Amino acid sequence: MTIIEAHNIRKSYGSLEVLHDVDLSVREGEVFALIGPSGSGKSTLLRILDLIEPPSAGELSVFGIATVEDRGRWLDLRRRMGMLFQRPIVFNASVYDNVAMGLRYRSAPGDEIDRKVKGALEAVGLSRYVGSRATDLSGGEQQRVALSRVLVTEPEILFLDEPTANLDPGSTATIEAIVTSLNREAGMTVLISTHDLMQGQRLAHRVGVMIEGTIAQTGPSREIFHEPKDRRIARFVGIQNIIPGRVVSLREGLTVVVEAGGKQILSATPPPGEEVEMVVRGEDISLHRREPGFEEAENLFPATVTAIEPTAPFVNVTVHCGCDLVALVTARRAETLGLHDGMLVWVSLQAKAVHLIPRSGAG
Amino acid sequence: MNGNPIVEGFIEAINLIVTLNPQVVEITIRSLYISLTATFFASLIALPLGALIYFYEFRGKHAVISTLQTLYALPTVIVGLIVFLFLSNIGPLGFLRLLYTPGGMVVAQTILIIPLLMGLTVSALSGIDRDKRYTITALGANRLQTVVTIIAEARFAVMAGVLLGFGRAIAEVGTVMIVGGNIRGATRVLTTAIALNTSMANYSLSIALGIILLGVALGVNIALSLVQRR
Amino acid sequence: MKMNTTLLTAGIIAILLILAACAGCTSPAPGGNETPNATAATTAPAGGAIVLRIATTTSLENTGLLAELERVYENETGVDLQFIAQGTGQSIDSARRGDVDMVLVHAPALEQQFIDDGYGINPRCIAYNYFIIVGPASDPAGIANMSPVEAFRTIYAAGTNNTPGVAFVSRGDNSGTHNQEKVLWEEAGYNYTTEILNAGAWYVEAGKGMGDTLILANEKGAYTLSDEGTYLSFADRLNLVPVIAEGTELLNRYSAIAVNPAKYPSVNAEGATDFINWLISDEAKEIIGNFGTEEFGKPLFIPLYAPECTEPPFNCTCAEPVPT
Repeated sequence: MTIIEAHNIRKSYGSLEVLHDVDLSVREGEVFALIGPSGSGKSTLLRILDLIEPPSAGELSVFGIATVEDRGRWLDLRRRMGMLFQRPIVFNASVYDNVAMGLRYRSAPGDEIDRKVKGALEAVGLSRYVGSRATDLSGGEQQRVALSRVLVTEPEILFLDEPTANLDPGSTATIEAIVTSLNREAGMTVLISTHDLMQGQRLAHRVGVMIEGTIAQTGPSREIFHEPKDRRIARFVGIQNIIPGRVVSLREGLTVVVEAGGKQILSATPPPGEEVEMVVRGEDISLHRREPGFEEAENLFPATVTAIEPTAPFVNVTVHCGCDLVALVTARRAETLGLHDGMLVWVSLQAKAVHLIPRSGAG
Repeated sequence: MNGNPIVEGFIEAINLIVTLNPQVVEITIRSLYISLTATFFASLIALPLGALIYFYEFRGKHAVISTLQTLYALPTVIVGLIVFLFLSNIGPLGFLRLLYTPGGMVVAQTILIIPLLMGLTVSALSGIDRDKRYTITALGANRLQTVVTIIAEARFAVMAGVLLGFGRAIAEVGTVMIVGGNIRGATRVLTTAIALNTSMANYSLSIALGIILLGVALGVNIALSLVQRR
Repeated sequence: MKMNTTLLTAGIIAILLILAACAGCTSPAPGGNETPNATAATTAPAGGAIVLRIATTTSLENTGLLAELERVYENETGVDLQFIAQGTGQSIDSARRGDVDMVLVHAPALEQQFIDDGYGINPRCIAYNYFIIVGPASDPAGIANMSPVEAFRTIYAAGTNNTPGVAFVSRGDNSGTHNQEKVLWEEAGYNYTTEILNAGAWYVEAGKGMGDTLILANEKGAYTLSDEGTYLSFADRLNLVPVIAEGTELLNRYSAIAVNPAKYPSVNAEGATDFINWLISDEAKEIIGNFGTEEFGKPLFIPLYAPECTEPPFNCTCAEPVPT
């Protein structure tokens, strides 16, 4: 069942357009990650979905209820959701009073508040600070207070806006673990925004890539990583090689592309047009010291090593073969190969690993 | 001619304070009483108005706020003059018979510090950042709960504003001189007593009252820094 | 948030209690010479002790005579006398607006106008002393032994000739003393507004009370016109000496005038009548006549008695009680 359905959402602040043409549907019980660079509109979109602020245009239904016409129901709907912000937000009051805020807004009975607040603080390991002033805690502790404050209200949808961007790895792991278990055990729907691809991949069933105010691509993270729909997404998901080329023919179900240097490369992607860009992840490129005797890769050609850049535990190796390719190899393999500048190597590359996208206007 | 009026005046002043000279005590208590009352009434009026300005969007809001900020520096004698004209027997509020009474001085000081308190209330509330407001909304607060939470969160900044207002009220001389008339035993406060006793070359009493006024200012500042540390 | 609000409320209550305790422990301290401040501070004129509000001149307030009269009268009657020390001109203005119940002033011409306009009633002259022209002991304009009018002409001439060291400080505040000074300039043959006010740097307008003006003249080594009482009470702090202290032109007469209740029904006319009648009583005149003897070796004010007061140069009523 779809729990959030957004269509053509647009948001402007004055003359500044922050969101446009946002379409999104989130299923009940899934973890959905919004990934995208800073300033791409993730936070704004989450606030709109959480009914904190209205969109400038578009349609939005939450829990199957259309919200645009019916502002009167926003408070009730909002009280079924919860949101954790990037910056740890605590109020100048005790930890207990901070965590109790949402329940007090809902006029919950005192004994219920007491039980839930203490339980929640227990769960995040902050019981000993129950009477402390929340502003005196460290950033990580404050964020855990903020998380408890959201969780005691038992939201059906939890929004997390870059919840771990400012935190140490330990606090990050705690919060990730809590989110995962809430989803698995309580069936809570989770929308998390992050600029950390790995976090999106770790936590989410599905990922939406936000670029320049719109969701550019939605799908399982594997699909996003390997088959970005356009150049901006490819760049954002960290694909090293984006090479312009032209489709010349089809051969045995494969597309033949000629790049600027004249080299022919085979791709398993059906041609999206004549002018294309080849998108190749560095880790899909294999390097060999001599021509492999038996190789399944459809593309096999010699090249010269022109640069070696360590990014532990990997090494970025740039090779020249008409065009420049960057291969990502493990440091150990680089050592085994005895890579050095000017060295002649053999490159193998599966046609499946060469993803084609239409050529975008700006080179 | 005396030896050194400053040194002698200072010694005499300390003596006046230590022995709780009745005149000094009386004037100090009256000063505190009038300015605290004025601060109380000004808060009663200015804090809700400041909150209203902050929470409601309306045309000319920026103009209102910058007008308030201009009025921070409202010259005290102008307030004194206006209040005097209103409270004078032939003025529109003359029937209240408040001129030359502590009540009139409370009115004048209240008017004097209302813009300051309103402006500082607006800034105190504006000091609550956007993310905090989003958090309050996201936690499911209704309109009233939002307002209450924001005010509660800004309470120390608001209190700092109130303290500043009190400091301005008790330290000013222009309005209380004009509106109060500096009547001995009725409307004479620290500042007007200092002005009068200086003009009477009664320096030791002036210095004693000056020390007390400084002490009050110091107390306000200490309270302010305690509040701002929260 | 709840716990914090409780704490905050507790804190505010604690501060209020401490303040109240302070007020409680210190307010009984003032002796008999102080007004009952706690009630005076909290009661409007409508309730509590009867308040009589008197606009008066700084010269009377500064000598301390008023405090003495207030102490005695309040002990006898329980009426709360409230003196508002202003210049005579401002005092009469306050009375014209009905902001005070009576005036105690010293500018015969302004007083007469006030009475003629119907605002002032029941004038009684109380006491007099003399204005004196004070100046540096070196007397740079050389006016010693002149008549006051001659002296003013000489100062004018010396001032406009830029004679070194000659300056005159005026009250410049439309007070009784200032009015007397204007009279002297006019008698000396000058138009005050056109000739004196723009006469040059030697003519300084202080715009302040008598005490401040004396201190200013002292700093500048200038001549000034002062009432005798204020000069005597400041003399120990001044290098100025009386240069001319004789001449009927320098007579300084103090009068009490009630505000006409027909103009302002809300004024305390009864209180004003009672106080004026007390001021012309022998008891009050004795206090006035003795005031300052102890401190200055001579009285600061000379009480007026009938029939002297009805004759020139006084020409006023000083003995006949105001009908109640």
